[in-house]
Amino acid sequence: MLAAAIAQPAVFGIASGAAIGLVAIGLVLIYKSSQVFNFAAGEFVTIGAFGLYIGDKEWNLPYPLAMVIGALAGLVTALLVERLVVRPLADRPRVTILVATAAVATVLIPVELMIGKVKPYPAAPAIAGLGIKILGVYFSPQRALIVAVLVASGLALAYFFGRTDLGLATLASSQEPTASRLVGIRLNRISMLTWGAAGLLGGLAGVLLTPLTASFSAGYGTTGVLISAFTAAVLGGMTSIPGAFLGGILVGLVQTFAQFDLNSVSGSPDLAILIVLVGVLLVRPTGLLGKEA
Amino acid sequence: MATTLERVNGLEDTNGQPPDKPARPRLTVGGLAARAGVVVALTALALWYVFSTKQFRSDNLAAGIILAIGALSLNVLVGYAGQISLGHQAFIGIGAFVSAYMISQQHQPFLIGLLAGALIGLAQAVILGLVALRVRGLYFALVTLAWGFVGENAIFRIRSLTGGGAGQQAPRPGGFTTDRGYLLVCVIVLVVILLVDWRLVATKAGRALQALRESPQVASSYGVNVRAYTLLAFAIAGTYAGIAGALFASRRTNVVAVDFTFADIALPYLIVTVVGGLRRRGGIVLFALLFVLGREYLPDLAKSLDIKFVIDNAGFIIQTFAGALAILTLIFQPEGLGTFTAPIGRWLKGQPFRLSHEAEGREALSVRP
Repeated sequence: MLAAAIAQPAVFGIASGAAIGLVAIGLVLIYKSSQVFNFAAGEFVTIGAFGLYIGDKEWNLPYPLAMVIGALAGLVTALLVERLVVRPLADRPRVTILVATAAVATVLIPVELMIGKVKPYPAAPAIAGLGIKILGVYFSPQRALIVAVLVASGLALAYFFGRTDLGLATLASSQEPTASRLVGIRLNRISMLTWGAAGLLGGLAGVLLTPLTASFSAGYGTTGVLISAFTAAVLGGMTSIPGAFLGGILVGLVQTFAQFDLNSVSGSPDLAILIVLVGVLLVRPTGLLGKEA
Repeated sequence: MATTLERVNGLEDTNGQPPDKPARPRLTVGGLAARAGVVVALTALALWYVFSTKQFRSDNLAAGIILAIGALSLNVLVGYAGQISLGHQAFIGIGAFVSAYMISQQHQPFLIGLLAGALIGLAQAVILGLVALRVRGLYFALVTLAWGFVGENAIFRIRSLTGGGAGQQAPRPGGFTTDRGYLLVCVIVLVVILLVDWRLVATKAGRALQALRESPQVASSYGVNVRAYTLLAFAIAGTYAGIAGALFASRRTNVVAVDFTFADIALPYLIVTVVGGLRRRGGIVLFALLFVLGREYLPDLAKSLDIKFVIDNAGFIIQTFAGALAILTLIFQPEGLGTFTAPIGRWLKGQPFRLSHEAEGREALSVRP
């Protein structure tokens, strides 16, 4: 069946790729504003997923409110990381900040394990059910929701960077930080803004993606999402938001097809990621939509 | 920078000695006695600890030494090659499984297993090093991250190599099967690695690497072969990691894939390197031991104070603490614990005791642009 062999993994891949794209956009935002690889991004995802779980299962809030709590948990984490770790290191070499963000993940993962214990947590979807079946292919509401959120985020960011003064200021500060400060742009505010947006997107990704895998555990975002998101960002050119959007979808597709068609090879999605990443870096380091090296 | 460049000039020297090396200061009898006294006292303290405590405490010390070797591997990579690795679970895990496979499946002696682990570590590091040469700046960190997960999810699932869920047997060498005996093996390997590392850094290759890390363009115009020396640093780092893996395997006597995860290996090893202090061997070894001893004694302390939460979560608490310490180190004291161990090391080598050093104020952690 053509539908089962190609269309179904494609649908799955686009949906998980859309969530990867959300995290990748966060990585790109931070990279654009401060040229930093944010290795703590995976934990924004995990904390978002924990936020959803706590809101939904522990506090018994309505599901949409629990989703908001998850996204806000990601936002707050990112703002704390920016204020406590990244800003004091702002003038230091980029690799110092990279190691510091990895250290943030080292702190957050055992904290999650202490609070949440070593066990998987169930993640319920926003709208349950397999969804509708068209020509033998299932379209579940959760997957449709992820794609809708990605598209909405993309449009919001396009509006922000294209039509608002603050968006223009953000772009300016990423291109010429000194000149931007001289014309009155407050770089700390911009840094807060981009980290906050990245945290919000990461938290959203956690809220949306974990129901697809049905469960998650501490450190989920770092071990399960981070490298896919980085590969998506690199594939898109590392500085391009539409690139990260596209890269996310492509990475999701590659991983899902590797999973479906090479399931005799264990770890095939990880192998596929390594091949894509090394391939892009060696053959086209500027990515698909990146402007300059 | 100026000092480094002057010393790079000395690369042409065939005897491997930098031309501006200060003459070894002459020691008084009292100075010599004081230094000898300190060495004897430290050795005695270590021996007292090993023999006055129970056997399994020695096993823990061995774990600390293995952690130190793994962190020294990262030290070469980050401190000298200017590249970062977030995939050390693969380097160390593959070394461990290859060594275990050679010993238990091919019935080779322990030394052959150790050698095989070292060689496989070297081989993967050189292959990744070839990629690193073509990838600019920090992007290489992403390649190592991806490689680490390939190790975890693909290579460690190869049943014939890793023995599946049951794991692979890795017996200890004959005559050294007790925890104290095996600690001696680990200490000997660590001493050899420290000697190799010290000679490496103090000679032509070390100066070339240092120059390379500060500016590849300048180094290359002074005649440093950038490709060869970057690959050399990768080869050394990979060899150390493979050796750490082989020792890890035989310490456990049975290795399973879940021992080698991103959160348990790659992150803590990097943290130990950073807190210990880049290019500060003494600091790295010291913090590796402190890290492991903390994990060992915190539950005892918590038991005596009867704090159940701490008893249950000792390992997690130590890791959180170490991560936080790493962030504070990066912000306030970029040379890490080495700030405190380096003056002692210089004093032991016969120089007068001085807290500051010419390297002070220089960024400890930096990467090629």
